[in-house]
Amino acid sequence: MTMDVEHVARVQPPDTVDFPVTVGWTPAAMAVQAVLSLNTPVHLRMVIEGHDPLLIDFRHHAFSWSTPLDEFPVEAVHTRLETVPTSADAPPFFELPGQDLDGLLWEMGINAFGGGPAFWLSPGERYRLTRWPNLTQHSHNLRQVQMIAVLGNAYASTAELAKFAGVDESEAQRLINALSLMRILTRSAAAPAASMIPQTAAAKRQSLFSRLRKRMGR
Amino acid sequence: MAEHVILFTGPMGAGKTTAIQSLSEIEVVRTEATNSERHIVDKATTTVALDYGEILVGAQEKVRLYGIPGQRRFNFMWTILKKRAKGMVLLVNTDAPDPIGELLFFLKEFRELYDKGGVVVGVTRADLVEGPSLAEFSDALERTNPGLVIPVFTVDPRKHHQMQNLLLTLVVNIEMRAAFGMAGAR
Repeated sequence: MTMDVEHVARVQPPDTVDFPVTVGWTPAAMAVQAVLSLNTPVHLRMVIEGHDPLLIDFRHHAFSWSTPLDEFPVEAVHTRLETVPTSADAPPFFELPGQDLDGLLWEMGINAFGGGPAFWLSPGERYRLTRWPNLTQHSHNLRQVQMIAVLGNAYASTAELAKFAGVDESEAQRLINALSLMRILTRSAAAPAASMIPQTAAAKRQSLFSRLRKRMGR
Repeated sequence: MAEHVILFTGPMGAGKTTAIQSLSEIEVVRTEATNSERHIVDKATTTVALDYGEILVGAQEKVRLYGIPGQRRFNFMWTILKKRAKGMVLLVNTDAPDPIGELLFFLKEFRELYDKGGVVVGVTRADLVEGPSLAEFSDALERTNPGLVIPVFTVDPRKHHQMQNLLLTLVVNIEMRAAFGMAGAR
């Protein structure tokens, strides 16, 4: 069993990553994952066309960006990405408190990798939640809540998660990517498959959750 | 008529009455009296028996929302109310003297609701005062109740949409726990 929080040997990051112009969030998510895996203090600065720079201070688990997350640009054009070395006693990258980094990691994880697995995930693994994301602070839909509830109660592979929640595998994969980037998943290649108590399709349709959703117009 | 009973628990001043008002489709039944503990929570009145609201799901089905009195001296009501409940919304205000202690106290007191259904935690007033982070709340839960993965969100009980999310999360979690054979064991 491996926790998602991996600490590797202290390595100095390069001052600036040679970062070609890219569209979307996959390289940015990879950069974040790499920095989170480094046991060395470093900030990230992303330059995105049409937006103010996006600053991330990992030490304070915060980011600063003038673009609100509810206007998250899925097709953002990234023109530059810089790592900014810092130290444990250095001042914060921007005036705190900034915004909770989890919100950005959620959006980034959901929108990166085009519905395929994040590069740091391995085939054959099952996942389980270690902590619920603060959904009040993240834009989400109720299918995602349903999937998170599955992962809070059982180990599941991406395919199993999709089946349990009745969603497309790519949608399940996006959620796995996001929760993994937020480091709130445990990964295991050895965990056995969970099984649900069989329910008829009619029973599933008639769950209180389904009826309440409908009643609430959600 | 089918009914589903959800309890709203937590210390005095956590926002239980307000949360039920945000969700209920009927005028909330309130049993309030003058707050004799204003040195603890500065509000004029407090619940002494219960709050009651409801959501009509269909012609023959209701979700009944009961709010307990937060003060321990009214805990005889807790025993009565928890017998019928299937799940719990536990609200904790970050400006309580010991919010993590309150969380653990109420979870222990109502643990049977987790075992037979499910629990969701709403942290209130987090935008007003600096208190423990959500990670600290979750860590405290994990430390004292290993293996429990309980949803913990920041919420504003006045916001209808946020309270709907909290309730729907509780309900889907209860159903998932039942589907995986994890609830109803005790």
